[in-house]
Amino acid sequence: MAAADSPSTALLRRDLCSRAIRLAGKMRADVVDLLDAYVEQQGLDASASVAAVEGVPLAAVERWDEQTGTQRLLENLAAYRAFRTLLAQMLEEQREQLGEADAGLGRALAAVLLQVSAFAYHLEELLRLESRGIPGEEGDGPAPPPRLSLFEQKLRGLGVLRELAQWAVRSVRDLRQLAKPSPATGTASGLAESP
Amino acid sequence: MFSRWNWVACGFYLVLNICSPDASGGLVQSCGHIIPESPVLALGSNFTALCILNESCLDFGNIYASQIIWKIKNRVVPKEQYREINRTVSSVTFNDTSSLATPLTCNILADGQIEQNIYGITVTVGLAPEKPKNLSCIVHQVSRFTYVMTCTWNPGRHTFLDTQYRLRYSWPEEIFPDCIPKDVNNSCTVTDIQFFVNTEIWVEATNALGKAVSDPLVVDPIDIVKPLAPQNVSVSSVLLPTVVKLSWENWISDAVMTLKFNIRYRIVGDTNWMEVPSEDTSSPRTSFSVQGLRPYTEYVFSIRCMKEDGEGYWSDWSEEKTVITMEDQPSKGPPIWRIIDKAHSPASWTVHLIWKELKPYEANGVILQYEVTVRDKSSLSSPVKKYNVTGTNHTLQLPEGTYEVTLIARNSVGASPPSVLLIPASNSKAPVKNLRTLPKHDKLWVGWTAPNSYVLKYVIEWCLVSSSSDCIIEWQIAPGDVQGIDLKGIKPFKCYLITVYPLYADGQGSGQSVKAYLKQDRPSKGPTVQTKKVGKAEAVLTWNHLTVEEQNGFIRNYTILYKTIDGNETVVTVDPSKTEYTLSSLTSDTLYTVRMMASTDNGSRTGPDFTFTTQKFGKGEIEAIVVPVCLAFLLIVLLGVLFCFNKRDLIKKHIWPIVPDPSKSNIAQWSPQVPAKHNFNSKDQMYPEGSFTDVSVVEIEADDKKSFSEQDLKPFDLLKKEKSTSEGHSSGIGGSSCMSSPRQSVSDSDEGETTQNTSSTVQYSTVVLNGYRDQTPVQVFSRSESTQPLLDSEERPEDHAGGADSTAQRQQYFRQNGGQDETNTDRPCFERAKQITHANEGDFVGFVQLQISGQSSQPLGLGMEKNTQEAALSSVLQTCTEGQTVRPETVEENPLSVDEMPKCYLPQTVRQGGYMPQ
Repeated sequence: MAAADSPSTALLRRDLCSRAIRLAGKMRADVVDLLDAYVEQQGLDASASVAAVEGVPLAAVERWDEQTGTQRLLENLAAYRAFRTLLAQMLEEQREQLGEADAGLGRALAAVLLQVSAFAYHLEELLRLESRGIPGEEGDGPAPPPRLSLFEQKLRGLGVLRELAQWAVRSVRDLRQLAKPSPATGTASGLAESP
Repeated sequence: MFSRWNWVACGFYLVLNICSPDASGGLVQSCGHIIPESPVLALGSNFTALCILNESCLDFGNIYASQIIWKIKNRVVPKEQYREINRTVSSVTFNDTSSLATPLTCNILADGQIEQNIYGITVTVGLAPEKPKNLSCIVHQVSRFTYVMTCTWNPGRHTFLDTQYRLRYSWPEEIFPDCIPKDVNNSCTVTDIQFFVNTEIWVEATNALGKAVSDPLVVDPIDIVKPLAPQNVSVSSVLLPTVVKLSWENWISDAVMTLKFNIRYRIVGDTNWMEVPSEDTSSPRTSFSVQGLRPYTEYVFSIRCMKEDGEGYWSDWSEEKTVITMEDQPSKGPPIWRIIDKAHSPASWTVHLIWKELKPYEANGVILQYEVTVRDKSSLSSPVKKYNVTGTNHTLQLPEGTYEVTLIARNSVGASPPSVLLIPASNSKAPVKNLRTLPKHDKLWVGWTAPNSYVLKYVIEWCLVSSSSDCIIEWQIAPGDVQGIDLKGIKPFKCYLITVYPLYADGQGSGQSVKAYLKQDRPSKGPTVQTKKVGKAEAVLTWNHLTVEEQNGFIRNYTILYKTIDGNETVVTVDPSKTEYTLSSLTSDTLYTVRMMASTDNGSRTGPDFTFTTQKFGKGEIEAIVVPVCLAFLLIVLLGVLFCFNKRDLIKKHIWPIVPDPSKSNIAQWSPQVPAKHNFNSKDQMYPEGSFTDVSVVEIEADDKKSFSEQDLKPFDLLKKEKSTSEGHSSGIGGSSCMSSPRQSVSDSDEGETTQNTSSTVQYSTVVLNGYRDQTPVQVFSRSESTQPLLDSEERPEDHAGGADSTAQRQQYFRQNGGQDETNTDRPCFERAKQITHANEGDFVGFVQLQISGQSSQPLGLGMEKNTQEAALSSVLQTCTEGQTVRPETVEENPLSVDEMPKCYLPQTVRQGGYMPQ
């Protein structure tokens, strides 16, 4: 984080932030659309309350405005890595359950998965620009969840998508904070200003 | 041929059997093989193949590498390319694989010169793939959530080989499935596109000779999107006549891509589009109000969009939507003009007011009516007249004066500003100057120099000039600050009369006119030339002007081309205003061909040929020749007549000797019984001795007429009368008669003069045997029964030459004439003279009278004046002169009256030669 921002680096970071913001926005829109399709496809109630899913980081956080840029990036990266694993698992379960019967839902789920992966890549790039080491993934990610029933799988999928939609919103706000020009380049304070 | 192929087949079978000892046990074992096996070679490279013989075949068939023959298809490869490596291996080398073909075979020339195939390979020649170039990708929006990315590239040269192209793309941490094009080698479409991540895209081309990879294209697919055009476009006219509102829906949510827009519109029927300024539509929106439109105009709208930041591609234009803006009041008054007809009475005008319909963008709606107001400016007390007109013209009957005409167009919204036209009593203001025209493509430019005074506007009138119809005036108004306009709708090759009027605030200038063509051509026909007058060396040519329809342009000149049949053509250029020209210096009595050519700026046209022949003589030449000749002839004749007249006695002596007329002799009186004593039965008896050689004249001295008393003369008168009225009454000497003769006896032509008295009564007899002069003699015995005494002068006229005047009236001539020529000649002379006499009897008095053949008299001088056939007359005169006996004294003393002429007659038998006076 201490590395000084060269003009090209600043430009690159701005570009990455901008792209990541738009990706998060699109991801949210797609996830919202996917949620509708998923609820309908899985026969769930859109208003059904889902308890916190294990392994899914919560978007809501206290003192969000006090977080530093790096902290935001790291939290986002951890979350999206988790979503990537969860979505991959959902996609596999989806294929197991429906096969090719509902290819549209599978394609939409795969598209969201790609977007999650892409967003995670953007975050890693931003962290590299901050000259911060990228935390390694914990083995293969979170420990595989215990074998759940089919309904539990559907509910968990619903919870993953809802939380992903939340994270998409938060990510946009985090990245906009990061994209703001810092008064003192090369300082961490640039990533710590309040929204 | 058949036996040869049989021999080869038998040999091949033999060799196979030799080389394949266990052929019966399975596949035939070859005696050799080629390395490499079916190679793929680069075009243009060198290539070496080896043919390796099996050892087993060597011993069995005595086959060695030296006997190997290489073939490409059926063509033997030159042995220079062979190389025997050892006794079982032969190689062949090709420096350029382009000369290779399939198959390449290894053959052996066995004993007996039998050529046997050992092995063959298929050679494939081609090229390694080139590096794909110009890779580009575009993301097409297919539906609201579906995007496909199509990448295209240039595959490079043709490889002649099976080459596989694949489009590859990846994220840094993600490899996507390859896109393999179908049926093409230069494009591929990816259906799984993710935005907002830079994607590396590249193309790999692979074939048997190699692999080539294009330069990678790193792009975020969102930056190469071509979105769908906005949908559900609607347009509506809102409260203002110049504003419409455009609404639409976007296919892409703002979360994915924010958009900017282009809005274009045009008037229906117009092909040119107008665009709303791009900065006005550069932000995301779903509606826009377009302003600055024309009222009551039908517009077409269309819209497109693209990514707001300008990355990517514009969408296609949306479907077109039309709308008609609301009406507004007319923006200007109609252009107005007038045509004044003063034909009926100069003091009373027929004013035709004419105006043009407003253009749609000026009318701003449907014009319901026009309001015309006429105010007499010369009389302030006269009321203003108003007319409501639905058409575009109005005719007024106005007394001569100055008027102000106001015109207003009205639609459903309101009225236009008024158009004012001042009609002055006279166009006394200054006209425009230097009026000129210039063709400009399909328009005719009319220019002028403005007068010194301030001009409100100009009126330009023009009409098509025609020889068969009236000029139908078209007109146009130009602002006062211009000095030229373009006239549209002008036809080429037609003559237009253009007039420009300057309109002032207080009057109107007189019009200046000019004729012009938009485009000229050569005349459609040439002038028809003809001669008006042809002389010996000149000819006056005349022609008619071409009609304006035939001219096709301004006639710059006429050209006359004339020539003789074999001569060079002469060219004369004539001013176009002329219709007549005189060709001079022509050759007389020569046939000329003349034609005429009319020329415009763009060519000429020649009329039909016309031929004429110049005269042989010029004007007056004939008169100059004929008149002197005639005068000379007349002079000669006159001189001849005078000469003859003066020398008449001499001529008479030599040509016409005087023969006394026995009938006028007095012998008949003194010997009345003599005829009874003679009995002549025939002429032969009368003249037995032969012919007489001359006329015997008994000359008797006669006394003066006065010596006879009237009683003495009476018997002669009676006798004369008898002879004159009774034909066949012959006279004789002494009572003898010629009545027995078939010849008829008739009185002489001089009988009219037998009334002369003679005192002598001498009886005489005349016997004529010889012909008169050279004429054939007629044996005639002639005896006069005349009781008249012979005149002195009749007997010897020459003897009385000195006293002719005193003795002439007593002279009597007896003329013995045996020929007919003279008689025949006398007749037309008499007839001619008779005609003249009848024509002008009174003129005879005082003229010399000519007695011709003793029967007629010829008024010589009169004949010359009255007869127009001079030549004939001269001939007659000549003839008459020869046989005439001129007795002027007779005319003086006893002129014959017209009533007395019938007493003298010409016996009809004279021409038959049956009777001769005796």
